[in-house]
Amino acid sequence: MVKTEKYQNRIELLQGTLDMLILEALRWGSMHGYGIAQGIRFKSDEVLQVETGSLYPALHRLERQGWVKSKWGVTESNQRAKFYEITKKGKEQLVAEQERWQRMVQAIGAVMGAARTAE
Amino acid sequence: MGLGFDWERRKNDLREELETHLRIAIEERIARGESPEAARAAAMRELGNRLLVADVTRSAWGWLWMERIGQDLRYAIRRLLGSPGFTVTVLLTLALGIGANLAVFQLVYSVILADLPVPHPEELVAVHAARTPFDEGWAVSYAAYQRLRAATPEAPLLARASVGLADLEIPNRVSAKPSCDLVSDNYFSVLGVTPAAGRLFIQADDTLGQSEWPAVLRYDFARDTFGSAQQAVGQHMLLNGRAFVVIGVAKRRFLDVVIGYAPDIWLPLALQSTGVFTPPWDSLGPGHDVTLSKPWHNQPTIFWLALIARIPPERRAAVAAHWDQVFRPDRELMTEATVDPDVKAALLRATTDVVPLNHGNGGMRRRFLTPLVLLMALSASIFLVGCLNLANLQLARLNARAHELGVRMALGASGVRLLCQIVLEDVLMVVAGFALAFVMGRISSGMLIRWASNHNSPLTIDLHTSLPIAVLGVSLMLLSLLFFSILPALIFMRTGVTRAAGSRARVAGIAQTGRQRWRANLLLITQVSLSLLLSSMSFCFASTLVHWETVDVGMDREHVLLVRSDMDETRYADHRDRLPALYLRMQERLQALPGVRSAAVGMCGGIHCGWNTAIYVHGRGDLTNGQVHGQEDHVSRGFFTTTGIPFLRGRDFSSTDTDKTQTVAIISRSYAHQLFGDNDPIGQRVGYEPAPNDHKFLIVGEVADAHVNGPQLEAPPMVYMSINQNPAPVHGIRVRVIGDPRALSESVRQALHEVDPTLPIDEMVPFSMELSGDLGTEKLLARLAGIYASLTLLLVTIGFYGVMSSRTSRRKSEFGIRLALGATRRHVQMLIVSQAAWILVVGIGLGLLLSVAAIRLASHLLYGSAVRNSAAIFAASVALAITGFAAAFIPARRAAYVDPLETLRNE
Repeated sequence: MVKTEKYQNRIELLQGTLDMLILEALRWGSMHGYGIAQGIRFKSDEVLQVETGSLYPALHRLERQGWVKSKWGVTESNQRAKFYEITKKGKEQLVAEQERWQRMVQAIGAVMGAARTAE
Repeated sequence: MGLGFDWERRKNDLREELETHLRIAIEERIARGESPEAARAAAMRELGNRLLVADVTRSAWGWLWMERIGQDLRYAIRRLLGSPGFTVTVLLTLALGIGANLAVFQLVYSVILADLPVPHPEELVAVHAARTPFDEGWAVSYAAYQRLRAATPEAPLLARASVGLADLEIPNRVSAKPSCDLVSDNYFSVLGVTPAAGRLFIQADDTLGQSEWPAVLRYDFARDTFGSAQQAVGQHMLLNGRAFVVIGVAKRRFLDVVIGYAPDIWLPLALQSTGVFTPPWDSLGPGHDVTLSKPWHNQPTIFWLALIARIPPERRAAVAAHWDQVFRPDRELMTEATVDPDVKAALLRATTDVVPLNHGNGGMRRRFLTPLVLLMALSASIFLVGCLNLANLQLARLNARAHELGVRMALGASGVRLLCQIVLEDVLMVVAGFALAFVMGRISSGMLIRWASNHNSPLTIDLHTSLPIAVLGVSLMLLSLLFFSILPALIFMRTGVTRAAGSRARVAGIAQTGRQRWRANLLLITQVSLSLLLSSMSFCFASTLVHWETVDVGMDREHVLLVRSDMDETRYADHRDRLPALYLRMQERLQALPGVRSAAVGMCGGIHCGWNTAIYVHGRGDLTNGQVHGQEDHVSRGFFTTTGIPFLRGRDFSSTDTDKTQTVAIISRSYAHQLFGDNDPIGQRVGYEPAPNDHKFLIVGEVADAHVNGPQLEAPPMVYMSINQNPAPVHGIRVRVIGDPRALSESVRQALHEVDPTLPIDEMVPFSMELSGDLGTEKLLARLAGIYASLTLLLVTIGFYGVMSSRTSRRKSEFGIRLALGATRRHVQMLIVSQAAWILVVGIGLGLLLSVAAIRLASHLLYGSAVRNSAAIFAASVALAITGFAAAFIPARRAAYVDPLETLRNE
């Protein structure tokens, strides 16, 4: 039962990081919803699985905030699909989120590192 | 619906996006080697509940509440369309209830509350220097105006005089009869009126002897005549045969400084010198060097100008005192009009008075204040009755929905959401009703003004929508929403739903609590009493109107045709010696017409003549000023037979009374009594002036008093002179006919034109119409109160029927059981009828109190004794009681014919 195992290996996305991941995924070019989810899954080595129920609300929210824009296009396999593209504002947002994320990682790392040394 | 369309498009977009997601996922899985079925199943599982995903995503758009309101709206519209009877009733009630209030308030606002549309209207005052000797108006001479104006440069003084209707001719256009005012050159500049086009008067416009005179037009008149204000400027026209050029148009909202009056054209004062425009005037009387046919500006004994000044309140006393000094010579001059030393002294003692124009006690405001306040109260009552009716309807409707709403609440719908849905339905209706009401209000305020304008003096009022009217409209809308929707819904939510939700819903419906019944009864009682108020007021106003329209005026109302003709033109006025022959030819020609009993001419055209005069008796120096004053008319032979004024003594004028013989006069009863007491007036000699010129006329006849100034005014003391001996242009030709005077108007017109093809005929009206011409207020009140009364009667009928029949249907099984236990049908019927009876009795009792109070408030608008009005209230009560019983009788009958067997089977 490979699938179940895989599922157990996944970890819950941290609150507020999905937007950043989507923006990061879109940094290299426009992509449709399925592609974004697959991209995040692939890059995270199958650890981060984005639920459709979170992905699309997030995409529509980002679009409403003007960080991504969307238009209908055609996939490589000639499917009509809605492609999302990061905007200039979105790129700025991504930089900001990345910095925030770095600080968080460092902070958490420092706390956890200290904990480990104390052992 | 751009938004709705966009919304649907986006929803489809999202659905397609999710479908694409699924398709790509399936394809990829197949590409990785999974079987199509397995791929599809896995992808579907991964995607989850597509509808839920779509819902959650849509919530990211942030518009979900709008979607919900959209649903509620669609639901509400469906429900309203589903019960058209209810919807129409509500819309009409709101449209009428709010519309009536808006229409009446528009009048209240325009007539009583609105400021004059000029800067600092509070500074404007009417200047009352002295009452003129005969007419007792507030007019001064041109010379006095010039002196007063020069005396106080810091308090600018302007003068005006109305000249009535003029004959307007514009090249290539139909002629018209606009009303004109003569105004001083500083009229517009002092008032602060700006032009909408062109320019307004300057000093140079008021010079004598211009070949083409300047004219300023009222905005609406300019637009109606020339298309627009801009197009009017520079147009040439003829007014009373003189050449004019339009130099400008006053700004749109400026009508005049007198509310209700709006001249079409303003002309310079100097125009009077041409003699073709004649304002009303007063003078010191005959023998005081008055020549009306010469220019008036250098005759200090002709009083014709009304004065208006702009003075800040704090300086008024000082300015008025200064004017008093300047006006002193004019006062002294005025004392010459009388020989009575007391009157002379009083004239000299009088001081100049200034009366604020804005919110002042102007004639129009005084005339309309009480009627309008009363109408406002009546309108408020009808609004209240309407709202109460709607509340009752709404409660009944909610009761009918109790089961549905109860089930919905039991299934978990929140109370607030249900309340919102109920209220939303009503908001829709109230808003639609308000829109209707607004349109209705606009139309009907125009109509009300036409009703209030009487035939003899049309009203022109600025009816632009203003903030107070909008505020009133919106507050009435909110109030009706509260009454009609929110309160009933709240009451219902508190009491109705929970019980109805129970399994014994049907039984719960039967047991209407005492409180609920009491509430419905209270609503009905209020409606009945308000309805009685409106009905009795309507009866009172109607009987007042009928009274004035039928009261004995001492003349024949029904069979006289009045031909108004204006013979002031020079071709008549300058050849007075030819007039008697012309009048005789007219009379003879008219009397030859079949159906004509007699015809006569008179200097007075109609009931607004009022030529005041003083008559001194030969050899009687002891008469007081009050005794010698009366009213004068110059009439032809046959005038009294034609108008139906009976002779008491002596003879009529005859063909032997000519300019070669003794000048004669005929006197009315009250004037005779005033001058001679109980002595026989025949054979007495009288004159216009005190001795030694007090014996010009010989009195040859005495006639009965007649209300020549209109039915509502006292019959004045009258003296009639022979128009043959004192030739004057006539303004009225009277023809007494057999039957309806209107039927003969064409042949009369032809006959007159056969005698004089150029005779100007302004109007031909039955004398009855001329007499009722002043009854504007009475007509307005009678008509509007009549409409209101019938509307409330209708509403009360609907209310009674609705409440009683819903009550009957709820108690159906109870009646069945009663009948089964041996009650008679009559007994059951009486149960319902007696309920209606006590509501009616209490309601009518309260209504009586209200009516008596209202009639007392309106007593000066009503004619007749308390007994007459109590008859009106009684009639209204009976009408109301009959209506109420009739409305209750149908449900009562239905209750009495319940089948007891069927009821028992159901139990």
